Amino acid sequence: MIDMQQLSFRYESAQGNALTDITLHIPRGEFLGIIGPSGAGKSTLLSVISGVIPHHYTGDFYGACVVNGMDTVEVTPTDLSRVVGSVFQDIDAQMVSSMVEDEVLFALENFGVPAKDLDSRVEEALATVGIANLRHRSLDTLSGGQKQKVAIAAVLAMRPQVLVLDEPTGELDPASSQAIFRVLRTLNEQGTTVVVVEQKIMLLSAFCKSLCVMDRGSVRLHGTMREVLAHPELLREIGVNCPRVATLHEQLLAAGLSAGPVPICVEEAKAMVEGVLA
Amino acid sequence: MIHLNGVHFSYEGREVLSGIDLDIASGEFVALIGPNGAGKSTFSKLLNGLNKPTQGTVTVAGLDTKKARTSALARKVGFLFQNPDRQLCRSTVRDELLFGLELCLTDKADIQARLDKTLADFHLDPALNPLTASRGERQRVALASLMALTPQLLILDEPTTGLDWRECMHTMELVTALNRQGATVFMVSHDMEVVRDFAQRVLVLNKGRLAADGTPHEVLRRTELLSDAALLPPQIMQLSLSLGANYDDIDTCEEMTESLIRRRLEK
Repeated sequence: MIDMQQLSFRYESAQGNALTDITLHIPRGEFLGIIGPSGAGKSTLLSVISGVIPHHYTGDFYGACVVNGMDTVEVTPTDLSRVVGSVFQDIDAQMVSSMVEDEVLFALENFGVPAKDLDSRVEEALATVGIANLRHRSLDTLSGGQKQKVAIAAVLAMRPQVLVLDEPTGELDPASSQAIFRVLRTLNEQGTTVVVVEQKIMLLSAFCKSLCVMDRGSVRLHGTMREVLAHPELLREIGVNCPRVATLHEQLLAAGLSAGPVPICVEEAKAMVEGVLA
Repeated sequence: MIHLNGVHFSYEGREVLSGIDLDIASGEFVALIGPNGAGKSTFSKLLNGLNKPTQGTVTVAGLDTKKARTSALARKVGFLFQNPDRQLCRSTVRDELLFGLELCLTDKADIQARLDKTLADFHLDPALNPLTASRGERQRVALASLMALTPQLLILDEPTTGLDWRECMHTMELVTALNRQGATVFMVSHDMEVVRDFAQRVLVLNKGRLAADGTPHEVLRRTELLSDAALLPPQIMQLSLSLGANYDDIDTCEEMTESLIRRRLEK
């Protein structure tokens, strides 16, 4: 679905590369989490997938990024946005309307979706993220979590094949953060390819199928969640925290206890503890 | 250090906080947790006088916030906003630190000594422009500018949001060091792991009221109460709760590992 080949990018007037020699294949139907320290290039990578780089932010672009058969440098951002939906870090910067319904309608109308289909597309998008009841509410009366769902619904209304999100739970409480990731899992199960940048490793490990760890513009680790979390020392060196259940696994191994494969959620950790005592 | 007596607070007629009574002693490290929209930031701003109670009294470091001047409170209370950009206003780290020092102090030797010590403690380059630095660095400059004034009370509104893991740990180590030197810390956070690792006392704010007050062990294992407040226990507490009553005293990886080694030996 997304193929990056030896991709490097340097922002205009920046001294060093933001991305260096990235080769990454993200198959259709993937649910990929991206984590890494500040300045690792995570947001830049999402901007390449959505075409914001190099069409909006210019600079030196080497290599290639192909999304659904389209070379992102050669097609226009408008063409790409029919395939890739983006949810930014600052959702208030993304909102253009004062009412929920208008926000979801905005892109549909701009892309010339026939008038007879508009109502059902809005209804379907709001229902998918579980906020059909908010359709006629004013955006400034909504909580942070509700606004985040509106931003996702507005993108979903375009029925994108790929959804990219930059720290969608930054300021949300733990239950609202989980609710957003449950929505992403549902969309992924329905066929959408999801790529999400997030600092909360425990959310990523509980929901994503695979994980990409970035550091100073490069991909340092990429694999299934279990494959990546099997490298706790390297993760710490990069500056990425492990889920506590993975740290427990590491400590049990160090104590000479046979703990089996690294757990990625509490249920698996429970089975690990029961296994240790069996 | 902090006394709230029968405190109510309303925004435009809508009551946000209802009947809050609270005492926090000097030197405590307290975390305030709760769902989005519970009134946590509103609560924090009662403690530095930015918000005045609609009813009841708030006393901080011996000053009644309704009567004291905001400048008098600012000399005793440092407030770190969730977004550091709300409090950075100068184009070099040196000028940023001097801004607060020169407003609050007159002794030039004292100002210079505090400037030098803060730059050293926080490993800051005095010529760095905070406005173009990374989010983590901006957070560190904002925190340094507060700490230079050695506040008696440090209020932190979600100090680790937007930071990566290393920046998060560094920020919390600096805060812990100030707490060990005697400052009282009041921190709003959504990160239950940070709350468990660093706070000595946890308050849960939900629907405008204090729903719980106790040690991290006492509060963060109350799954129903937390669930009602859109919160979850830290991951190892979730694990020990799922394993049953024999694991009631286990909150951390280290405690779980020790417990499993002991149980294996007993078998």
